[in-house]
Amino acid sequence: MAFLFELSESVNPFQGLIVLSVTILILSLFAVSKNKVIKKCLTALVLFSTAAAFLLNIHSYALCGNFSGFLIFFGSVQMLEIGIIIFSAVNVLFFITMNRKTEGNFVKELILFVFMLICAEFIVISSNFLLMFTSLSIFILTVFQLVSTLNSSSGEMVTHILRFILRPTLTVIFFFSGFSMLYGAQDFKNFSQVLESGDLSNPFISISLILFGIALFLYFFLFPLQGPYIKMIKRGSSASNAVIWFLYFPVGFFLFLKLGSLYSYFIEENNIYYSAILAVAALGFMLAGNIGAVSTKSLRRMKSFLFLFFISAFLFNISMYSAGIINKGSMGLFNFLNILIILFSFMPLYGIFSSIEEDKGKDSLVSIRGLGRNNIYAGINIVIIFLSWSGLIYYLKPFMNFFNGGNFLDMGVIGIALLIFFLICFVFLAINVLRILICIYKKASGGADGEKQEKILFPKFLYVYITFFSIVIIVTPVVYLLGRMGIDIAFIDFCISEFSF
Amino acid sequence: MNFQLMVFFNLILLLIGVFGIFYSRDIISVFVSLQFIIISGFINFIGFSRFLYQHSLWDKIFIISGVTIIYFLLFCIIYYLYLKNDAPETEELYEEFKIFRIKKEDWWGEDGI
Repeated sequence: MAFLFELSESVNPFQGLIVLSVTILILSLFAVSKNKVIKKCLTALVLFSTAAAFLLNIHSYALCGNFSGFLIFFGSVQMLEIGIIIFSAVNVLFFITMNRKTEGNFVKELILFVFMLICAEFIVISSNFLLMFTSLSIFILTVFQLVSTLNSSSGEMVTHILRFILRPTLTVIFFFSGFSMLYGAQDFKNFSQVLESGDLSNPFISISLILFGIALFLYFFLFPLQGPYIKMIKRGSSASNAVIWFLYFPVGFFLFLKLGSLYSYFIEENNIYYSAILAVAALGFMLAGNIGAVSTKSLRRMKSFLFLFFISAFLFNISMYSAGIINKGSMGLFNFLNILIILFSFMPLYGIFSSIEEDKGKDSLVSIRGLGRNNIYAGINIVIIFLSWSGLIYYLKPFMNFFNGGNFLDMGVIGIALLIFFLICFVFLAINVLRILICIYKKASGGADGEKQEKILFPKFLYVYITFFSIVIIVTPVVYLLGRMGIDIAFIDFCISEFSF
Repeated sequence: MNFQLMVFFNLILLLIGVFGIFYSRDIISVFVSLQFIIISGFINFIGFSRFLYQHSLWDKIFIISGVTIIYFLLFCIIYYLYLKNDAPETEELYEEFKIFRIKKEDWWGEDGI
């Protein structure tokens, strides 16, 4: 046992990564196997190794605390981020297994999936530009490989996959140029050095920040460049959509958070132009995402646009910080809450809607008509999931605090504009949610083709799956409220109401 | 060759690349434009290393690993393109392809499939 602890300490904080690497090694021994039993065993192995990686991630932080090296930095935030990524990965594994377990390439897809997870973890813990760039490039490459493999049966997907993957490729190339500029500015090798130098007026740094901004804009497919992403989601297989939503985008958020500290320096300088640009961009992206969702009847398009809305909420957080409405800690907290809302609401929704789509064979709002009446349990769960989006109302609290005695003018022009805009976006979001809910509780009889619709049933495991998320959604605010009321609900020395960044 | 000239030259290369990405009408031109941006970054690293930080090893490692990975990524994309070249949908990539084309259907209404 002592030997194991010693070994664990010597490889800290790579324990989880080592477990995943060993899993790849084992998987590669059975890469060409088409035996069903072996496939099941290997899926279980991947599941256990991700669970082990999750536990080891927490264990390594608890054992050794912060770790800082030439290439990496591992602290509490990184531990949380890796935890979120592994949680997402387990869900993606679930969706891949459901959709692809009968395919001949299933084991190879598992290898690519685990490799992608390793790259994602490296992106999170990397601090040096060298490792950050290398892991990002290989991550994009793995996304490309996995997405093209998951859509290999469809010939028409070639152009859409290429259009999709060219954007993150451009992101990688812009990052390369951006890092070269930062290196030229003052031999910088990580973002901490840039901040510590204090001389951010250097034109090389400004150019590199512009390049990083463009790169992230392309990475997230923000309005009006969302075309390839929407087309890809609309036509792609369910498994590839899960990879894009629950692994590609969360990793992008964490990359964005790394750069956030650099951008925040300019915000602290109270640059009014910077604040205004950010505010306008956030306004535009959020509204465009919601309007796009309102104008379509396709469930996949609706989900994609709503996803864009939540992605834009990150920019909105920065705009609020930039306008002086929230502080840096609140911005970090809001970003994390946003990621959690995205994952905990979109995952069960994705599970329900993709199951209905497979059953009905069409991607339309019509296909979910009568779901709430036919399948009351699923309907209630969907309502609970959508209710979790009302958590976005927490955005109003900083505005209220900012009123400071009810003086509306104290907020400043940007603050008032942001508040009004947020309310407009919230109204559009409510319209989208109501559209889906009305459709769900509409009478099922007399479908689009005039045929009587059958009862909508799901596999049993999906009931367990959505119940888990509904319980988490219900329990979290209850625990938070109890904590706020002063009732001691802390367990393992962790109290959700006292959590801060 | 002086430092300023190198910086301006790189900036022009970068702008040519960015302009090319916007202007290109087929996927091969997009790849050529990407080369301009990659080469701009590459020369940046080499130039800064030559003029400013001559004893640094970090930049050499970055150049080797960075360029290798980027070209490997591009190679994979091109290989995938040519692997699926017989699909009729790929014709539009050579005839009418704009990386940043914005269509109404991308945002408003349905996709039309």
